[in-house]
Amino acid sequence: MYSGEHRVLIANRGEIAIRIARACIELNLSFSCVYTEADRHSGHVRFARENGGSKSLYCISSYSDANEIFSVADSCGATAIHPGYGFFAEDFRFARRVAEREKPLIFIGPSWWIIRELGDKINTKRLARSLGVPTIPGSDKPIYNELEAVEFADSLFAFQKEQGFKASAIMVKASAGGGGMGIEEVTDPDEFRSVFRRIRNYSKRQFNDEGVLIEQRIYGFNHLEVQIVSERSGQKHVHFGTRNCSIQSSGNQKRIEVAPGFASEDIHYIFNATSVLDCITSHSLSMAQEVSYDNVGTWEWIVTPRGEPFLMEVNTRIQVENGVSAAISSISGQGKVDIVREQLRLGLGADIGYSQHDISLNGLALEYRIIAENPDRNFAPWVGTIERFGWVAEDWLEVFTQVPTDCEYEIPTEFDPNLALAIVHGDSLEQVRKRGIEFLDGLELRGVDRAGLQLQSNISYLKEKTSIILEF
Amino acid sequence: MLNIKELLEEIKASPYEEVEISVPHTGIVEFSDLKVGDKVTGPTGEWKEKPGTVLAKLTRERNTKSIPAPEKGEIVSIRHDLEGKFVEAGEVLLRIRHFLSKEEVIQLILKKALFLFNAPEKAKYYFTPEIDTKIKGSGERSVKVRDGLELFIVSRMKRETPLNYTGPEGVIYAVYFHNGDNIDGGQPLIGVCPEDQLKHIQDVVTRVQSEWEERD
Amino acid sequence: MDTDKRLDALTKRLDYIKDIFKSNENANVTMLSSELGECKQSRLKNHLQDLDRALTRLEDLFSFLEAKLEKELTPMDRVRIVRHPQRICLNDILENVYDNYTELGGLGENSIDPAMVIAQACIARRVGNKVVNQPVMVIGQEKGHGQEFRNGGSVKPWGNAKALHYMKVAQAEGIPIHTYIFTPGSYPIEDYPGAAQQIAKNIYEMGQINVPIVAVISEGGSGGAEAIGLADRRLMLSHGYYSVISPEGAAAIEGNPRTGNRVSEALIASCAKKLCITAEDNLRMGYVDRIIHEPVLGARPHNYDFFRVLRSEVIRATNEACLSVKRVKFFKAMAIRRKRTQDGKEIFMRWALSNGARKRLTEKRHSKFRELSTSAYMDNRSLMLKLGTALQSTAWSTKSWLLYDLIGRGARAAKQGVEGIQAEVLQVKEKACSLIKKDNDSDPVGNNISREARDKILCLSSPAQQGACLEDGTWKYRSPQSIIDRTFSCPNSAEEGCLDLWGPDLFGDFGGVCITCGHHFRMEYQWYLYNVFNYADGFEFNSGIEAANPLDYEGFDLKLDEVRKKTGLRSSCITFETRMDGINAVVICIAAPFRGGSIGAAEGEKIIRAAERAQRKQLPLIAYVHGTAGIRIQEGTHGVLQMPRCTMAVRRYMDAGGLYLVVYDTNSYGGTVASFLGCSPYQFGIRSSSIGFAGPRVITETTGIKVPPNYHNAWKALARGHIQGIWDRREMSKNVQQSLLTMGGRNLYYR
Repeated sequence: MYSGEHRVLIANRGEIAIRIARACIELNLSFSCVYTEADRHSGHVRFARENGGSKSLYCISSYSDANEIFSVADSCGATAIHPGYGFFAEDFRFARRVAEREKPLIFIGPSWWIIRELGDKINTKRLARSLGVPTIPGSDKPIYNELEAVEFADSLFAFQKEQGFKASAIMVKASAGGGGMGIEEVTDPDEFRSVFRRIRNYSKRQFNDEGVLIEQRIYGFNHLEVQIVSERSGQKHVHFGTRNCSIQSSGNQKRIEVAPGFASEDIHYIFNATSVLDCITSHSLSMAQEVSYDNVGTWEWIVTPRGEPFLMEVNTRIQVENGVSAAISSISGQGKVDIVREQLRLGLGADIGYSQHDISLNGLALEYRIIAENPDRNFAPWVGTIERFGWVAEDWLEVFTQVPTDCEYEIPTEFDPNLALAIVHGDSLEQVRKRGIEFLDGLELRGVDRAGLQLQSNISYLKEKTSIILEF
Repeated sequence: MLNIKELLEEIKASPYEEVEISVPHTGIVEFSDLKVGDKVTGPTGEWKEKPGTVLAKLTRERNTKSIPAPEKGEIVSIRHDLEGKFVEAGEVLLRIRHFLSKEEVIQLILKKALFLFNAPEKAKYYFTPEIDTKIKGSGERSVKVRDGLELFIVSRMKRETPLNYTGPEGVIYAVYFHNGDNIDGGQPLIGVCPEDQLKHIQDVVTRVQSEWEERD
Repeated sequence: MDTDKRLDALTKRLDYIKDIFKSNENANVTMLSSELGECKQSRLKNHLQDLDRALTRLEDLFSFLEAKLEKELTPMDRVRIVRHPQRICLNDILENVYDNYTELGGLGENSIDPAMVIAQACIARRVGNKVVNQPVMVIGQEKGHGQEFRNGGSVKPWGNAKALHYMKVAQAEGIPIHTYIFTPGSYPIEDYPGAAQQIAKNIYEMGQINVPIVAVISEGGSGGAEAIGLADRRLMLSHGYYSVISPEGAAAIEGNPRTGNRVSEALIASCAKKLCITAEDNLRMGYVDRIIHEPVLGARPHNYDFFRVLRSEVIRATNEACLSVKRVKFFKAMAIRRKRTQDGKEIFMRWALSNGARKRLTEKRHSKFRELSTSAYMDNRSLMLKLGTALQSTAWSTKSWLLYDLIGRGARAAKQGVEGIQAEVLQVKEKACSLIKKDNDSDPVGNNISREARDKILCLSSPAQQGACLEDGTWKYRSPQSIIDRTFSCPNSAEEGCLDLWGPDLFGDFGGVCITCGHHFRMEYQWYLYNVFNYADGFEFNSGIEAANPLDYEGFDLKLDEVRKKTGLRSSCITFETRMDGINAVVICIAAPFRGGSIGAAEGEKIIRAAERAQRKQLPLIAYVHGTAGIRIQEGTHGVLQMPRCTMAVRRYMDAGGLYLVVYDTNSYGGTVASFLGCSPYQFGIRSSSIGFAGPRVITETTGIKVPPNYHNAWKALARGHIQGIWDRREMSKNVQQSLLTMGGRNLYYR
């Protein structure tokens, strides 16, 4: 059914566009790529030019203009759109438009109503609670009334005291806010009232909504994820294990991701790590079942230092770090799994064809995000021209990048600063760490900016953090 | 001191500017009934509220937009082969030869007379909110700048950092970018006129006003 | 020498006649012209005596033909008479009608607005042996025989403000006001205050000025006239006109305004006729009380007889106004009624009124205007319904008085009492708790929180009330624009970088608002009815009152039929009672698709009834103006009268302690904004709104000033102080709710 008839329009850029295009070729599908003027030297443009044939490459004004995507889709005769990650990946309106326009296309991702339901954090929390899935202690809907809020805050403080926390704290957030705006931490119950008023007023000014959320503040947690995959029927769900994404830059941006979520064989945790992973996996699967989740998705969890998991949110898209899960998975003992390819295959309507029993998870894998930035100066991005980029190929290594290795490349300034993703596989934690360092040591990344200054990268930061992966 | 006469002569030697009209985004092109040599007009009216001659129409997702002429001038080339075709973003449709107006000549000369504060790197630039409101409210010439004043916000890689002005004290005489434009490093952002030179600059302006004859 | 003078006078008379009849070929004019020519030719040849005889004959002929021409005057000729530089003006009246006067607030050019003249004038009367000076406040537009700085009697907003100010002075002094209306219309600029803003204020205030007001209309041009025209007695000069719009304006609208060509003279003349603008027309329709007859071909400064007539008429009108409210009726009353004005001698009476009489005066003024134009619309309601409505309205007032004033007050008091007791109990309880707590502080068990509190923190709150999943579709009404698969460009995209929006997203989810810059695309009025005002659960009333064609304006019946079919509406006004988030309210919706949302007699009546209903039932009154082009010109003066009528109705409602909220949506211009909409203390604009007196094109045509494209937008209206805030369409429901709870007086049932 997905022979040559399908043409997938890749509404994204960079390495994910290349990965999707590769998957298309492997599945014998036609594909079309888009690019903007600033991105004309990106690897994905070159890939499409060299491998795509006719109608495979279009210049558009912006990756964020949905109209450009549809305009190109109609022009190239696309039948499906893959949004990649970022841009339109979690935009339910985009997904809805794909499905409901006069000339409908297939959206490679979950159905739009699922994106809408799980895209709303409050709604997700309420859904989770209705299924008995643990969530961060706190309110699950906006609170408007001050008295109610004070009462709520008091019981949250009491709750933490009861749990034996030495320092209890709560977070007060504008329910309409996001991206770190309108959030304050309260450690002293007496201060709560004034913080509540401040946030409420801020929220009213900023979003014309006075709703405020109150949650427990959790310190020193680990960030775990469960990779879920389903076919279009929304009935058969499998998981590809867990990931640990706790190594993040100061701006809460992931830098190293590891699969599986904990290394219970190599590291001693104060809680039962295996049962925590089982717990979050089974909860994620049950939620996916409940909403008839029908493509790939990631359930994001936080695990407290005491081993309590709380569901944070659901990412209804393929994630950057899908490769680490793929690297440790195999289906019916056959070769490597490619989750991007699975997403495409299932998104176009194929049966999943295997069950959880057929999936085995072996060894560990980590992913480095190689970025031109200065980890010592608050991860400030470095902008300039890359003169040389190269690494030593290994069979335990996979590198995804849009940066050409045979010519100079000026880093475009308007996108995420990721240069490359490197996935390192190993049988043990020890081996993965060793191979990781070996890769970083052999990595060649040179460049110069307009002022003649040398390229700065996070390689040293990655090296330093490799030694502490998966440790709590 | 600038040799204005020389500069004017220089401009008079080639008083044209060729304006490229390209499509802002993808879509299907439909030209107006125009040919090479036709005259077109730019926006007119006291507030430039009447758009210029419609050069072509671009249809995308059943939404047809007009592409008006940004300047007055004469068509020098036109891509009739694109008629009814789907074009990619940035495709050049036609070229217009535009005779420089007084205002533009003044701008050209001012660029040489003023102190130019350049973009240090390729990024998007914005004025800081206070300066922006001041400019929007009472014009750029109401803004005095001095060394070390926090004047811009630089946005790149989805991060925003403030940028301080460095250079002589004076008033902003010209702004060479729009808020949120992507500016290449080294391009001028603003032209600053030190206060003691204000008179001189005004002389330049009146000089051009009297000496430059506008043509179609 | 004498002959020269006489010849000269005749030439002037001829010139005047020619001016009045303008291009129209008229045998009489030609004849006069040739006769006068001959006479001039022959003056040197002829004997003095012959010349004298010829002149006398010619003078007789002039008089004869002038009288004949007088009968042939068309409405447009009258317009030309009124506009002629030789037309009497206010200064002539001050000189000749009053015995003494002092001009206030400006002299000649040195005035904030020379088009508006205010004077404190005296009428001296001999009563027995004494001379009594009766002071009056004279207010009126001054055309100054074409003096340029008078601006042709087009008053700027601050001129009208000055007029209002001195009306209040007259009120404080307890002296009558005589207003003289000599205006082609108001000067439509929107400086602070805006033209519409100020006229609305004038009408609003005049409704309650409690001294007698007598208005004399010579040139009554729409809004400008109403700004000083709300009077107890309205007199009209026989050659004047009183109209909703100038004939040229009407013709410009009738003809194709897009082409920019000048409209033909014939069309203008026919419009002048169709609009029914003459004194007779207005007397017949009841919009003026009496006509003051002018000399043939209109009064000019040398017609001293006319000033005498005018004097006795205004005195008589003032007398009548006073008498109608004075309790003790003298023989004079009868005398005044019997006496004919031609007598030249007026009955003397004092014009000072007691407090009671002053109150009755405004009351009477209100009912005078309330009764007007009630036959200018179609009332398709059955007789039973009409009767029922009348009975019901009395029942409502009684009911709401019983419910909210009598019982409500008691209930509120009782509630407050109970709340007090509860607070008391809580206090005691807390004290007791804290005592117990102190004892248990050392006990670790005391740290445990209740099961209830724990559930609140960890479990789903109120699962039954709201499902865990989002509800489908947030808006009850979806615009038909949201069905089409196409995109729309935001007009601000060049400056703000807005991306094109897909129709279903834009008109479905976003309520027609650009998500980047907040630009409001045009939205149907139904969107507001259903999504804001809960029209689906509302009750529409007076839908049987329909717009008609009271002037039998040519071709208008057809247009009305068309628009009825197209919109399914029977007037541009929808009035209904509704319930929004637990609060009942009366809503007036003015829908633009029906004749541009213009207001005629039917709409006016519906608005008044809505205000009365809201007052009786103690409900808030919300006017949602989807768009309005002003007064419906095809209804002529029937339309103009809706300005004072509706304003007085909403004023009464507000004075009673209601909440009158006005929300503008798209384009709102003209007489409606300059009256019952503009007078609300709570006016808000949706971001898409443009508010003003005259549109940009009309401003340029009438004043020659070009206005910038954003001249009327909501932000400018806010800066002028016309509106009090700008609302986002999507937030409107919330804002209305907030307004209902915080604004308005005590006559609201939920207060």
